[in-house]
Amino acid sequence: MSEKYGIIASFPDTPSFFHAAEKVRDAGYKKWDTYSSFPVHGMPEAQGQPRSKVPVFTFIGGITGFFLGLIMVWYMNAFDYPLIIRGQPFFSPVFPFPIMYELTILLAAFGTLGGMFVTNLLPQHYSPLFNSDKFLEVSGDRLVIAIESVDSQYDPIATRLFLEEIGGTDIEEVST
Amino acid sequence: MNVNIFHTKSSKIGTIALIVGLIGTAVSLFGFKQGWNVSEVRPILSWLIAIGFWLSILVGMLFLIQIWWVFHARWPTIIRRQCEHCIAAFPYLFILFLPLLAIPLFHDNPGLLWKWMSGHNELPGHGTVAEDPLYVWKSPFLNIPFFIARAIAIFAVFIGISTILRKWSFDTDLSGNANNTHWSRRLSSVGIFLCAIGATCASIDWFKSLEYHWFSTMYGVWFFSACIRAALASIIILCVILATKGYLKGILKQSHRYDISCMMLAFTVFWAYISFSQYFLIYSANIPEETFWYNIREKNYDGELNSWWWVSMGLIFGHFLIPFLLLLWYKTKVVIWRTVGISIWILLFHILDLYWNILPGKLVVPDDGAGYLVRQFTFAPYDFTAFIGIGGFCIFAMCRSMQKAEPIPVRDPNILESLNYSE
Repeated sequence: MSEKYGIIASFPDTPSFFHAAEKVRDAGYKKWDTYSSFPVHGMPEAQGQPRSKVPVFTFIGGITGFFLGLIMVWYMNAFDYPLIIRGQPFFSPVFPFPIMYELTILLAAFGTLGGMFVTNLLPQHYSPLFNSDKFLEVSGDRLVIAIESVDSQYDPIATRLFLEEIGGTDIEEVST
Repeated sequence: MNVNIFHTKSSKIGTIALIVGLIGTAVSLFGFKQGWNVSEVRPILSWLIAIGFWLSILVGMLFLIQIWWVFHARWPTIIRRQCEHCIAAFPYLFILFLPLLAIPLFHDNPGLLWKWMSGHNELPGHGTVAEDPLYVWKSPFLNIPFFIARAIAIFAVFIGISTILRKWSFDTDLSGNANNTHWSRRLSSVGIFLCAIGATCASIDWFKSLEYHWFSTMYGVWFFSACIRAALASIIILCVILATKGYLKGILKQSHRYDISCMMLAFTVFWAYISFSQYFLIYSANIPEETFWYNIREKNYDGELNSWWWVSMGLIFGHFLIPFLLLLWYKTKVVIWRTVGISIWILLFHILDLYWNILPGKLVVPDDGAGYLVRQFTFAPYDFTAFIGIGGFCIFAMCRSMQKAEPIPVRDPNILESLNYSE
């Protein structure tokens, strides 16, 4: 149990929590996160997080659905089993449009859901942070910043001092 | 103090707009009169398209104001006031609409513009209007007295609701009376229905009945979606101008622009959905009384593709696909010049959409049975003067209203939430 997962610090109220996050960001740490039981407005910016990548998954899902519908109708109505319906052509981009459109929406929704899981690294049933009793209080009223030991700037003593300096209390190392 | 500077500025702009409006309408009405004298309908159609364009913006804003009231939307409170200034132009539009009503009343051929108004008008391959069974069936609705009554009722609804909503909103600035808010919500919940009927009748009477054989239950909804798109694009342009030059500096936030842009994206999809559904149902049913409307927007009588085919393609790609793909992008919704650019783009294609809906028509070729000519897509000089002239009056009305009231509804119960709004 000599390996440490990281170091956690608690903060007394939301403003100090928020500004501490900005300071951690400005100090150049990369592998760290903030934990609270409620959303804090503007926290992604305070953490220096870029915009979500989920829209990319949505877009790819939508495009896939659109062309899947197009190819499916072409295959069924014009290639595999050509049928004359209402004297209209075997294939045209007009009449399969509802199918293309529905599949666009369906696969865009799947893309969004899947993209959310992928970008959030879900499902994740366990984290070494659960070893800390103080961290478990995050589901109540504790506000915690955790810096992980895999961060290139991580140093057991310097990081502890840094967290103290920015107003952290109850600082402790968490074992893996 | 700042507000006073703004009032002088807007009064200057209003005076310029009034002069431009007077010149523009004078030139256009001269063209209108020429067309009237020689029974040439194109300058009159210019007038109708320009009325349709400015009316669609105002109707869209009136709808948005009422929707915001009904849903108790707090974030657009500062934007709502700008719309309230714009909808002051409804009475002017009514006066500018009157020349069109003069045609059925005073012209030798009452059916010069709306051809069903004269039973003697000839139809390609159908004899005359009076002998046309489709007209006979529709005559209880499509007759001149009822048409004029509807036109007056439509404007009465728009002018009445906009005047009352403006009065209550401006009164809140002075009295702080919260009852104004409650009553605005009550009026809006009824007003949305009245305006929906009004806008539907307006689009059916003034645009759809130009080719009265055709019918589509989507038409009113098409006009509604077009109105909202035009209104949202105009709101962005107006608010950004006011934020850079005038009194919304520091008040209009990124989050306000972002939300209006999101609505622009939603209504881009809605417009495409409605327009395509209309086409799709007519394509599937394949009934001649309906398909001809799309045929003349694609081909001439001899089967050659005509100018409207290009316009149709322009609408599919320019009015739907390009704005849709660009508006999906977060940057388009927050970077000011991109948002304004896409708004101008949408307004230009909205004008093209109106051309596409109003201008094409079957023209009779003498001594040629069922053959017909299609009125092709053209820009006429009177189009520009009509757009500028009627627009001048609308901007004059807006500037005049801006001098009467506070720049933002300072004592509205929701003003703080709108000022501090974040995504």
